[in-house]
Amino acid sequence: MVVEIGGFAVADWVTLAPTLVLVAASLLVFLIDTVEPRPGSSSNAVLAAVTTVGSLLAFLVAGYLLVVGVGQERVTGPVSMFNGQLVVDGMSLFFVVIVGSVTALVALASYDYLAGEAYQAEYYALVLLAATGMSLMASANSLATAFVCLELSSLPSYALVAFYKDNRGSVEASLKYFLVGALSSSVLVYGISLVYAASGRLQFGAVAEQLGARPEFAGVLGVGVVMVLLGFAFKTASVPFHFWAPEAYEGAPAPVSAFLSSASKAAGFVLAFRLFLTAFPEVGGLAGGDPAVDWVVAVQVLAVVTMFVGNFAAATQEKVKRMLAYSSVGHAGYVLIGLAAISAPDSGFVLGASMMHLLVYGFMNTGAFLFVALAEQWGIGRTFQDFNGLSTQAPLACAAMTVFLFSLAGLPIGGGFISKLYLLAATAKAGTWLLGAALIVNSALSLYYYSRVVKAMWFEEPDGTVEIESYPTSLYAAVVIAAVATVVLLPAFGLLSPSAFNAASGLF
Amino acid sequence: MSNPWIAIGALALVAVVIPVSMLTMSRLLRPSVPEQGKRAVYESGEVPTGDTRIRFNIQYYMVALLFVVFDIETVLIFPWTVIYRDAVANVGLARVLLPMLAFIGVLVVALAWAWRNGAVRWVRSPRTTAQRVDRKS
Amino acid sequence: MAILSEFYLLLSAAVFSIGLYGILTRSNALVFLMSVELMLNAANINLVAFSFHYGNVTGQVFSLFTMALAAAEVAIGIGIVLVLYRNFEDIDVTKAATMRW
Repeated sequence: MVVEIGGFAVADWVTLAPTLVLVAASLLVFLIDTVEPRPGSSSNAVLAAVTTVGSLLAFLVAGYLLVVGVGQERVTGPVSMFNGQLVVDGMSLFFVVIVGSVTALVALASYDYLAGEAYQAEYYALVLLAATGMSLMASANSLATAFVCLELSSLPSYALVAFYKDNRGSVEASLKYFLVGALSSSVLVYGISLVYAASGRLQFGAVAEQLGARPEFAGVLGVGVVMVLLGFAFKTASVPFHFWAPEAYEGAPAPVSAFLSSASKAAGFVLAFRLFLTAFPEVGGLAGGDPAVDWVVAVQVLAVVTMFVGNFAAATQEKVKRMLAYSSVGHAGYVLIGLAAISAPDSGFVLGASMMHLLVYGFMNTGAFLFVALAEQWGIGRTFQDFNGLSTQAPLACAAMTVFLFSLAGLPIGGGFISKLYLLAATAKAGTWLLGAALIVNSALSLYYYSRVVKAMWFEEPDGTVEIESYPTSLYAAVVIAAVATVVLLPAFGLLSPSAFNAASGLF
Repeated sequence: MSNPWIAIGALALVAVVIPVSMLTMSRLLRPSVPEQGKRAVYESGEVPTGDTRIRFNIQYYMVALLFVVFDIETVLIFPWTVIYRDAVANVGLARVLLPMLAFIGVLVVALAWAWRNGAVRWVRSPRTTAQRVDRKS
Repeated sequence: MAILSEFYLLLSAAVFSIGLYGILTRSNALVFLMSVELMLNAANINLVAFSFHYGNVTGQVFSLFTMALAAAEVAIGIGIVLVLYRNFEDIDVTKAATMRW
């Protein structure tokens, strides 16, 4: 019950400090709003500062714990608490780092985006609560805690998407998000109940022990595993529960879109990784022998279909935000490679590549959506043509956007290049050539539609109707920080990737 | 050995047959006298006002929501109370009581927030105020 | 005589399918919420039945959490239905289609 952090012996729950910081920050926001409850009168600056500092602190604490080696083999081994319901290891800390950084960027950008809006305290509180759920999802080690954390991150998201409650687009987006979310969460919980029916346990490790290589209720288990997989497809915006994503991202306030498409997706993936690799490795045939439930093939199919659906749909879009939404679906397909190619001899490398891609994606995708938020603040339109000649008026922001887009496409200007290269190497190691080919084809296709935005910004003539009057400082700062992080991740990739690979191999 | 389900099936059969036969019998025997008062909505002998389907004030929603929160809170506290004595004997008071206090503390913060933001304040809509005035005059 | 666990699976599958059918065929948002509730409770049937089958209370406790979360989900859902009604003067989920699917 006692672990050692940096020379001090502390209780095991201290390793959950990043999550506790987020909880404390959300309660603090509620308290501030309790003292000054009139809508809009609580100071936006104070609320945004609490949110930003809270999530930044979570990011830093998680990073510190990761660096000193908490939960990893070389120091303490995975710290399991509450009878194995939660576990803190390299993987969970790595994803808390992603969630914390995205939340901090979003909170920083929201300060300008929300200026003058009502219900600011509610907004920040919901963001922090959703971030709490996401960071706890990274630690969930039982089907029960997994479901609770998943809902804790989903329910505030539904409300956040409907933040502009008098805007028909926002409400419609929230409705569709909620409908698909409610359906998929009931599918997920039914799948969990079937897994429980087959194993009699909910804790991941115990499920694996009970199932063994030859489970008694293989049929029930198979249906259960597929339903659980579908439930996670919603959270990660993968096929077949992907169609909420373009609607929700388009209708939602742009910082919320950034938050959902980066942090929420990463959280969904970490839970899927942990669940499938600690609860169903033997039934999936990873320990050798015939698989009882061949979920690896199911994930491979989902990965390929998700890549193609996301990228082809993105190529036909006319609105930038919707294009980014579909590209986010495509990126979910890339990350799914981590699970799909897991049968490779060096599975720590495969999974680590996916984790690194999510880390880089957290910065570049958040940045791209925040640029759209900036464009919305300026009141310029949503289509590609509306971005024409924007670089003459806002060169810095346009340069940042160019970095994001090219990094998303996988050009060697940001960390997205190396993470995609690693994913490709992973597919080669696993011998799943189809996945590798799909990755290359889709990256090439994505270059086409990303460069349309770049072309519009830099090479098209402005039509002269748009005058940019204000340069919102915090939104600008968030975009620039995200751009710097994306670029720095290119040379610094090698510094961070070993921790990802170590964290990933800790699961096997 | 007879199957116990036979008895349950027989009971179910009787339970269906008796009310159906009584309804059919009375339908065959009774005279048919259609009348206005029989069709009216039954309101415990009062003269009915308005339709059966009425719209509830939207403010009931807030009250209902708070009710749901505290109703569910009870559900989550319940398993804790069941094991409370044994757990205190095993691991000591602090480790049993403090987590629940933290749980309730979070709810108290939320309730205070909802209260201050007017979730339980009953706002009179202009229409109800107008009705009051009508009745007085 | 105990009822075989398979029958509980059949019952819960039936309830789940009724809920799914409701979701796929009805366009009223409130009926949708009820159908989701049916599907969640189908899972609860399984959890409680197999909790009895295996002789541990894990499933029963989890079903309590499911109920709590179902209530929270409905609370959010009704909030969204309310703003939907204010913006579209209808709670038909197919009417809200200003964006392309």
